[in-house]
Amino acid sequence: MHSKPITQNAIEVADLRKSYRASGGSGGSSSRANTVTAVRDVSFSMERGEIVALLGPNGAGKTTTLEILEGFRHRDGGTVRVLVMDPADRSVARELRERTGLVLQDIAVESYLTVRETIARQAGYYAAPRRVPEVIDLVGLDGLERRKVKGLSGGQKRRLDLALGLIGRPELLYLDEPTTGFDPSARHDAWDLVRDLRQTGTTILLTTHDMAEAEALADRVIVLADGVIVAQGQTATLGGQDAERARITFRLPADLTACDLPVAGSAVDGEFVIETSSPTEDLHQLTGWALRRSITLAGLTVDRPSLEDVYLRLTREGALADAQE
Amino acid sequence: MTTVALPARPLVRGRNNLRLLAHQVRYEQLSFWRNPQSAIFTFVFPVLFVTILGALVGTSGKRASFGGLPILEYYIPTIAVMSVLGSCYGQLAVALAARRQNGILKRVRATPLPAWGYFGGLLAHCILVSFVDVALIVAVGRLYGVPLPTNWLAIIGTLALGAASFCSLGVAAASVISNADAAPAVAQIVMFPLLFLSGTYMPISSKWLTQITGWLPVRPFNEALTGPLSQHSGVGTHQLEVLALWGVVGIAVAVRRFRWDPRPE
Repeated sequence: MHSKPITQNAIEVADLRKSYRASGGSGGSSSRANTVTAVRDVSFSMERGEIVALLGPNGAGKTTTLEILEGFRHRDGGTVRVLVMDPADRSVARELRERTGLVLQDIAVESYLTVRETIARQAGYYAAPRRVPEVIDLVGLDGLERRKVKGLSGGQKRRLDLALGLIGRPELLYLDEPTTGFDPSARHDAWDLVRDLRQTGTTILLTTHDMAEAEALADRVIVLADGVIVAQGQTATLGGQDAERARITFRLPADLTACDLPVAGSAVDGEFVIETSSPTEDLHQLTGWALRRSITLAGLTVDRPSLEDVYLRLTREGALADAQE
Repeated sequence: MTTVALPARPLVRGRNNLRLLAHQVRYEQLSFWRNPQSAIFTFVFPVLFVTILGALVGTSGKRASFGGLPILEYYIPTIAVMSVLGSCYGQLAVALAARRQNGILKRVRATPLPAWGYFGGLLAHCILVSFVDVALIVAVGRLYGVPLPTNWLAIIGTLALGAASFCSLGVAAASVISNADAAPAVAQIVMFPLLFLSGTYMPISSKWLTQITGWLPVRPFNEALTGPLSQHSGVGTHQLEVLALWGVVGIAVAVRRFRWDPRPE
């Protein structure tokens, strides 16, 4: 389907650095000491058609990275290529904007136009936009074309936001926390929409705090903490070894403690947890032990650490390493 | 949800700039007329002012007693300038600061619409609004027996230039105001004394004050508009030069300081 060579990545970032002057500083001559590093040595790439989720706590550098890619901020160092163009190069700005779309973190729509007018206005800025009714249908705002924006609910306004990001038929779409404030059904609709866009070959870089969203949509995730990438990879294998570990949880009768267990485990609020890299053997030992002693392992489950668990461990380690510096 | 198709993108670069501008003006107008607040501030207030004034002065308004002019003929150009200042400088500064704060400017910046297209649209919109404003004020004056002006070309030219330079000052103000909540107060605090000192509300007899305000933006506009509106004279070249100078100052500040992004670098 794509005739373009595979080496032409949609996004190519190498050794990206950016620092800000610390807020509250008066901007005196000693400003060098008052800088806050937003991102350092950030390197990653995205293939065309890929969906990548940028994860990280607030202040980790997600928005800074996005804004440098979008051309809103200048980098201090490193190289950046978006659709083979440098977003800092003003001579290509218009073409880059023609081919990329973005949905910002905050809802940004004017109150007094109708849904259709708002989208039609945005469509007029592009050389080859999608058709307005098509986009209204895509984001599920049909029936509300003539409603004024101020009469929309928060979730509906967010869909309008999404429509404005899509109208220019972008090859590359930035979604900054796109489903914040959506109810579960609207969220699933939005996910379906993102999957539909993937079918058309649209490359999507999204940020989110919702691990389920990252798991549902992203081919790969990149985890940022304190301005550095602490992990990147496919959602299933993120965090390396830890992803191979399993967690066995169950409850025991009140007279038993963790010392009675045949394998090492711990108890938290009556819930016993065995973390293991050899779940088959440990589970065999545990159930054999329970059968021999006629003990019921209430609520027995075996699961792998979720993306959220991995994420929390990674971002905490990042914060710890930073504190030790 | 239907599936979407992504056909080959035609590389259209040379789009009709005029059409882009018209598109922009159309939606600025639509947005403006739909907002009851902006319409009231812009039109109702100056019209009310002239209406009440006309009722107050009655027949005494016919005598040339106010700065060498009948009272209403003195006030029609100054109130016109006040309304242009309000919509081109005040409202524009406030609207831009608000649009920046809630991300609308950032979103516009992310589209292929060039900056000149955005500001050109705003400028044309503001000039149009100014024309409507002045037409309404002149019409109310006519109801009180003020003779209609004859030199329409001078009026249109003066208005367009004055509105443009007030717009440029409005964009400059929006560039230096970083907090949208403070924007209305900051805009007002500049406007009110300037209007007062420039003779908008009453003739100023102080020589030195007149000299100073003659180099500020409002008084030259008052004088330039009083000529063709009330004295049947032509264009006030010197006054328009001062106005144009302020326009350039505004552009210089805006070019250096205007930001699309709500968060400072």
